[in-house]
Amino acid sequence: MPSELTCEELREIGAEIALGVLPGRQRAGAVAHLEECADCREYVRQLTFVGDRLIGLLPCGEPPVGFESRVAQALTQEAAGREGPSRARGSGFPRRRALGRIRPQVAAVSGVLVLAIGFGGWAIGTAIEDTLARPAPATAGTGMLWGGLVSAGAAGKPAGEIYAHRGSPGWIYMTVDLPGNSTSHDGKVSCLLVDKNGTTVRAGEFTLRGGRGSWGGPAAVDPATLAAVRVTAPDGTVLARAHLAAGTDET
Amino acid sequence: MGFRFDRAIPGRGWAVYTDVSKFRFPVGRLPDEALLSGLATGDPELAVGFVRRFQHRVYGVAVAVTGDPQLAEDVAQQTFERAWRHAQIYDSRRGSVTTWLTTIAHNLAVDAVRSRRPEPVAPEDLDAILDVVSETPERYALADEASSRLRAAMAELPPEQGRALVMAGIYGMTAQQVAEWEHIPLGTAKTRIRTGMGKLRTTLASFQRGDNAQ
Repeated sequence: MPSELTCEELREIGAEIALGVLPGRQRAGAVAHLEECADCREYVRQLTFVGDRLIGLLPCGEPPVGFESRVAQALTQEAAGREGPSRARGSGFPRRRALGRIRPQVAAVSGVLVLAIGFGGWAIGTAIEDTLARPAPATAGTGMLWGGLVSAGAAGKPAGEIYAHRGSPGWIYMTVDLPGNSTSHDGKVSCLLVDKNGTTVRAGEFTLRGGRGSWGGPAAVDPATLAAVRVTAPDGTVLARAHLAAGTDET
Repeated sequence: MGFRFDRAIPGRGWAVYTDVSKFRFPVGRLPDEALLSGLATGDPELAVGFVRRFQHRVYGVAVAVTGDPQLAEDVAQQTFERAWRHAQIYDSRRGSVTTWLTTIAHNLAVDAVRSRRPEPVAPEDLDAILDVVSETPERYALADEASSRLRAAMAELPPEQGRALVMAGIYGMTAQQVAEWEHIPLGTAKTRIRTGMGKLRTTLASFQRGDNAQ
C-alpha cells in the first residue's frame, strides 16, 4: 500500500524525524513512507548521524563521588541475580531514589531475599572496592587470554587482536584488519578455535569488508586447552592466526 | 566499515565473577566493544572499567539536558543499566559504543525532563549549551576532525538556526515548542530546524567524502 507522503514532503520533516521530535501522528505517516523508500531512509540515516554527532559535542561531566562504584556494583549484582535460582525476579539494579517507593509487603519479602543473598552482595561489593582501590589503570580479566593476529599471507604482519574470556559460557571478541590489498578480503570468514591437540572448533562467522571487521560471541574458552585462533576464508584458506596467552603476570 | 557485532552477549546467567587469577590484562587495552561484550560476565573489574571509561561522557550528556545533577545521576545510572541489558543488540556498524551510550543517555534525559516539567530548558542554559557546541577553542584541538568541523559549522549557522537545533537536537523540543519558545510561526521553526540540519549534514558529508583538504 503506497504511503500518502511524497518524498518531497518526507524531506520537509526529515530533520525532525532524525532528531526524534516529530509528533507521533506525523511520525507514523513518515515511518510508512520510509518503509517503502530507500532513498528517504538513507536521507534520514544521514540526518540521524548528524543528530548523534551533535549530542557528541556536549561536554563531559564529573559524576558525583561514589557513582562509579555504585553503578559497577549494580551491574555486577544484576549478573549475580541472573546466575542464581531466582531468575524470575525483576531487575536487580538498586535504585538510588526509587527505594522509598517500595511497598511494605514487597519490602518484607525483599528483606528475606536480602538476607538470603546478602553474603553474595557483600562479596561483590568487596570485589568492587578492591578493584577501585587498585592503582590506575585498572586491570581486568580473570582468566582472560589475548592474542595478536598475524597475517598468513603478508609475512606475519599484524592483522588484529583477539580477546577470550573464560566463563560459563565464555566469550570471544576479535577485531580483524588484514594488511595488503584489502579489497581482496571482502566476504564471510570464520573464527576457528584451535586446541593444543590440534582440534579445531568453529566459534562463529562474520563479514569482512575491505579486510576489516569485528565479531564477538559466546565460546567455550578453557585456558588449559585453548591454544590458538584462526581466521579462515570459506574455502578454508587461513587468512590470519593468533596464539593465545594469558596477560601480564601480576604476582 | 564492515563491522559486525551481533549477539555479543547472547546468554545471561553467567558466573558472578571467577576466582582471582594472577593473570590480568589492562582494562585500558580492551576495545570498547570487547569491554561491552565482557560486561555480562559479571567480572567486577570489567564493570568498573566500563563505567570508568564512559561515565564522564554519559553524565555530561545527562546533566546538560536535565540541568539537574540529581536527575542526571539517575539518568546516567539508568543508561548503564540499559546498556548492560541491551548489549546484545549493539551493532558497531551503526556507531561506536560511545555514540550508542550517549544516545541512550540523551533519550532517557529528554524523557525524564518531559515527565517532570513543562518547560524543557531555561534561557541561560540554552545559550550556554549553544556556546559549548559552537566553540572551537584550543582545548578541542585534539578532538576528532569531524567534531571540530561540526563545531565550526554550528558556529557559522545564523543564531536562530543554531538555537533551533539546540532546542530540538539537544533538549528534544518539538517544532511547535520551538515556535512557542521563540514566538515565531510553526513553519518558521520547522524551516530553521531543517535548514540548520541540512547545513550540518552537508558539512559532515563533505568531510566523509574527503573534501577536507589537509
